[in-house]
Amino acid sequence: MSGQEGTVIEVRGLTKSFPGVLALNDVSFDIRRNTVHCIVGENGAGKSTFIKILTGAFEKTAGEVLMDGKSFGPRTVREAMSRGISVLYQELNVVNDLTVEENLTLGKENHRAGFIRKSEDMGRVVEILKGLDASIRLNMSVGDLSVAQKQVIEIAKVVSTESPVLIMDEPTAALSEDEVRRLFAVIRKLKADGMTIIYISHKLAEVFEIGDYVTVFRDGQMVGTRAVGEISRACRDVPEACLELVKMMLGKVVVESYIPSRTDRSRKLLEVRKISNKKLHDVHFDLFKGEILGFYGLVGAGKTEVARALYGLDEYQGEILINGKPARARSVRGALAAGFSMVPEERRADGIFAALSIRANIPMMRMASILRGGLISNIKEKRLADQYIAKMSVAARDRDQKVAFLSGGNQQKVVISKCLNREGDILLMDEPTRGVDVGAKHEIHVIIRGLANEGKGIIVFSSELPEILHLCDRIVLMHDGSVREIVKNGEDVDSNHIMAVIAGGKV
Amino acid sequence: MVLIGIILAIVVVLTFLSPNFLKVRNFTNVFLQVAVIVIICSAANLLMITGHFDLSVGSVLAFCAILHAYLSKHGLPVELSIVVTCAAAVVWGALNSLTVGVLRITPVIATMGTMYAARGFAFLIARWDGGANISTGLPVNFTSFGRFLLPGGMPLVIVLMVVAIAVFWFIEKKTVLGRYTYAIGGNRSAAALSGINVVGIVSVLYIIVGLLAGFCGVLQVSRVGSAFPNIAEGLEFDVVVAIVLGGTSMLGGEGSTFGMILGALIVGLAANGLNILGVPYFYQEISKGVLLIIALLLDQLLRQRSELGGRA
Repeated sequence: MSGQEGTVIEVRGLTKSFPGVLALNDVSFDIRRNTVHCIVGENGAGKSTFIKILTGAFEKTAGEVLMDGKSFGPRTVREAMSRGISVLYQELNVVNDLTVEENLTLGKENHRAGFIRKSEDMGRVVEILKGLDASIRLNMSVGDLSVAQKQVIEIAKVVSTESPVLIMDEPTAALSEDEVRRLFAVIRKLKADGMTIIYISHKLAEVFEIGDYVTVFRDGQMVGTRAVGEISRACRDVPEACLELVKMMLGKVVVESYIPSRTDRSRKLLEVRKISNKKLHDVHFDLFKGEILGFYGLVGAGKTEVARALYGLDEYQGEILINGKPARARSVRGALAAGFSMVPEERRADGIFAALSIRANIPMMRMASILRGGLISNIKEKRLADQYIAKMSVAARDRDQKVAFLSGGNQQKVVISKCLNREGDILLMDEPTRGVDVGAKHEIHVIIRGLANEGKGIIVFSSELPEILHLCDRIVLMHDGSVREIVKNGEDVDSNHIMAVIAGGKV
Repeated sequence: MVLIGIILAIVVVLTFLSPNFLKVRNFTNVFLQVAVIVIICSAANLLMITGHFDLSVGSVLAFCAILHAYLSKHGLPVELSIVVTCAAAVVWGALNSLTVGVLRITPVIATMGTMYAARGFAFLIARWDGGANISTGLPVNFTSFGRFLLPGGMPLVIVLMVVAIAVFWFIEKKTVLGRYTYAIGGNRSAAALSGINVVGIVSVLYIIVGLLAGFCGVLQVSRVGSAFPNIAEGLEFDVVVAIVLGGTSMLGGEGSTFGMILGALIVGLAANGLNILGVPYFYQEISKGVLLIIALLLDQLLRQRSELGGRA
C-alpha cells in the first residue's frame, strides 16, 4: 500500500434518480485511506443507495467516484470486489450446514473436474481467522456458532481477498454488547493492518467509539463530513456529541401548529406495565380515551418493537391492561379481540390486498360487518365501501377499482378504513404517512385527529418529528429499547430537548 | 375470452375432422371424462388461489377406489363402505394440512410425499386382497351408485359435477371462506395481520380437496366395476393444467371457478378429440404439454397488456 495518508475514495457530484425520486442528490466527499469512516442518516436518507452504487448493484445517474484517483464505476458486485471493495452485509452469507473450513473456501474451492481437492493454500485465511478469533476451530459446524462468530468468518474471507476497502452494513444489529466489543477489537485490528472501513450504523454512540470520520446523509443529500475527534472535543459527553449528529440528520424541524384533542383524562384505555423482551426494556406508559400518543426515536430505538409486542407479534414479559382488565395478546387474533388494530409500516407488504378491489379490502378485518345470514351480502358490502370512501375521501374511480391502481395515499386510506371497520378502541399506526404525498399526508393527519375526537385511542409510531409534534398530545421518547421520557405536547415543547433525549442524553 | 375461443376452435376443428364428434353420446362421454377432473378442480382451484398445491389427488383417488372395493368385497355394506372410504380420504387431506399448514413443509414436496404413500397403500390393499387388482367377487349392488341414471337418462356423475360447480361457485362468491382464500393468496402477510387464520383456512381446503378426491375414487370404481391401484396416475397434473388454463395464478391470489370449468373443458375436449381421431397416446401427451404452454403464454401476454392499460 502506498502512503498511509491520502484519499482512497473520492465522491464527486454523485447523483442517482429513480422515476419520481431523487435518491442521491449531488453528493461529494472524500474517504481517507486507513480510517474508519462512518455514514449515518435516517431511513431514506440515501445511505444504502450510496453503498449500492459503490458495490455495483445500482448504476449512478450522474457524477463520479474515484478510487485511488482512477474512475470507479463497477457494473457488478464481482467487479467491485476485484477492484478492491468488499461488503459485510447485514444478512450473513455463511452456510450453516458446512464446517468453518468449508465456508472459508466457499466459492473458491480448489477443484479439478468438479471434485474438491483439499486446498493447500488455506494457510493464509486460517491465519487471519486465528488472528481475529482464536476460539473458532476449522472443523466446527457453522450452524453452532454465534452470530458474531459467523461475522468473523465472513470478515476473514473478505480480509483474505486483500481487498483494501471493507463496507460494513449495520454489523452490530444482531450482536450482544459483549460481541460488539469483540467486533470493535477486530475492526481496530483491521485498521492497524492498513484497511479502510466504511461503517454504516444507526447507533450513534458507536460512531464515537470506533469512527475517525462521520458523514451525515439526509433526504439524499450529504449534510456534512466531520472528524469524530473534533466533535468529541467540542462536547462534554457522548450523548451531547450524538445530539450534534442527530441535529444534522434531522435538519431544521418545521412544525405545523398543534391542535390538542379532547382527551378524556379520566378514562385510561390502555395501561402498559413494564413490558420487556429482547429489544425492549421495561416499556411503561398509558393511553387515554381520545388521545393521540406519539412514539418517537431514531431507527432501531424500539418503536416498531413496541407496536409488534402490543399487536401480539412478539413475545414479551410484563402486563398490558385494556379498560383496566388484563389483556395479554399472544397472537394477532388475540390482539384484535382485545381491541387493537394496526396500520402496518410496510403498506404494500403487510397492509393492502393489491389484487382485490377497494370494497373487498375494507371488510377484511371484520367480515361480520358485511354478512347477512352467514353469507356475504353485496348490498352491505357496497354500502360499507361507499361509507368509508366518503369518510376518508378516497380518490378512486369507483369502489370496484383494484387497490393496486390507487396512489400511495389512497392505499393508506383503504388500510386505515380496514382497521377502523374492526371497530376496536385502540388504533396502532406505524409510520402512517410513509411514502405518501404532501396533500394526502395532510388529509391523513386530519383523519387521525378526527378519530381521536370520536373517542379512539391512537398510538402513532413515527420517525418524523414534525409529524409527531403536529399530531400527538403526548410523546413517548425512546432510546435503545426503553422509554426515556414522556413529554406533553404544547406551545412550550422544546424540540432540542427531544433530540437530546433520543440521542441518548440524560433526562 | 381466449379460453372460450380455444374451446370453439377445438369444437370446429373436430367437427370437420370427425363425423362422430358432435353427437350427443360423444358429449356425454366428454362430460363423463371431465366430471372427475371438474369435481376435484372445484376445490383444488380454491387451494391454488391461496398459493398451495396438492399433488396427492390422483393417488388418494386410487387409494379410495381400492379401499372401497376391498371393504365392499369383504362384507361391509356398500353404503357404509362409501362413508368409511370418504373418512379415509379426509385423513389424507388432514395429513396434507398437518405437513403443509402446521409443519410448514413446501406444498409441492409435502403432497408429493402423500402422493407416493397413498399410491403405495393402494397397491398394498390390492395385495391384501390377493391380486394385482380387485375386479372379482364384488357385491352385485357395487356399481349401482356409479352407474345410477336419473330419470331421463342423465348419469348421476354429471349431476354431481354440476352440484360441485354450483357449491364452489357459491363458496367463492358468497362465503367468508372464499373471500379469505383470495386474501391469503394475494398477500399472506397482510391476511395474517388482519387476523385471518391462515393455517386454518389452508387446512380446511386441503381436507376438502382430499375428501373430493376420495369421493371421486368411489364414483369411478363403482362406475367401472373394478378397482386398479394404478388408476388416475398423472391426474394431479391434469388438475393443475385445467386450473392454470382457467386463469388461476400459480402464485395465488387470482382465479375463478368459472375459468376453471373452461380449463377443464379444454383438457377434456382435447383428450376426447385426439382419442376420436385415433391419435396415439404419446402424441396426446405431447399435445397436452404444448397446449398448456401456449395457453399460458397467451394468458401472460394478455395480462401484461391489461396491466399496462390499467396503469395508463
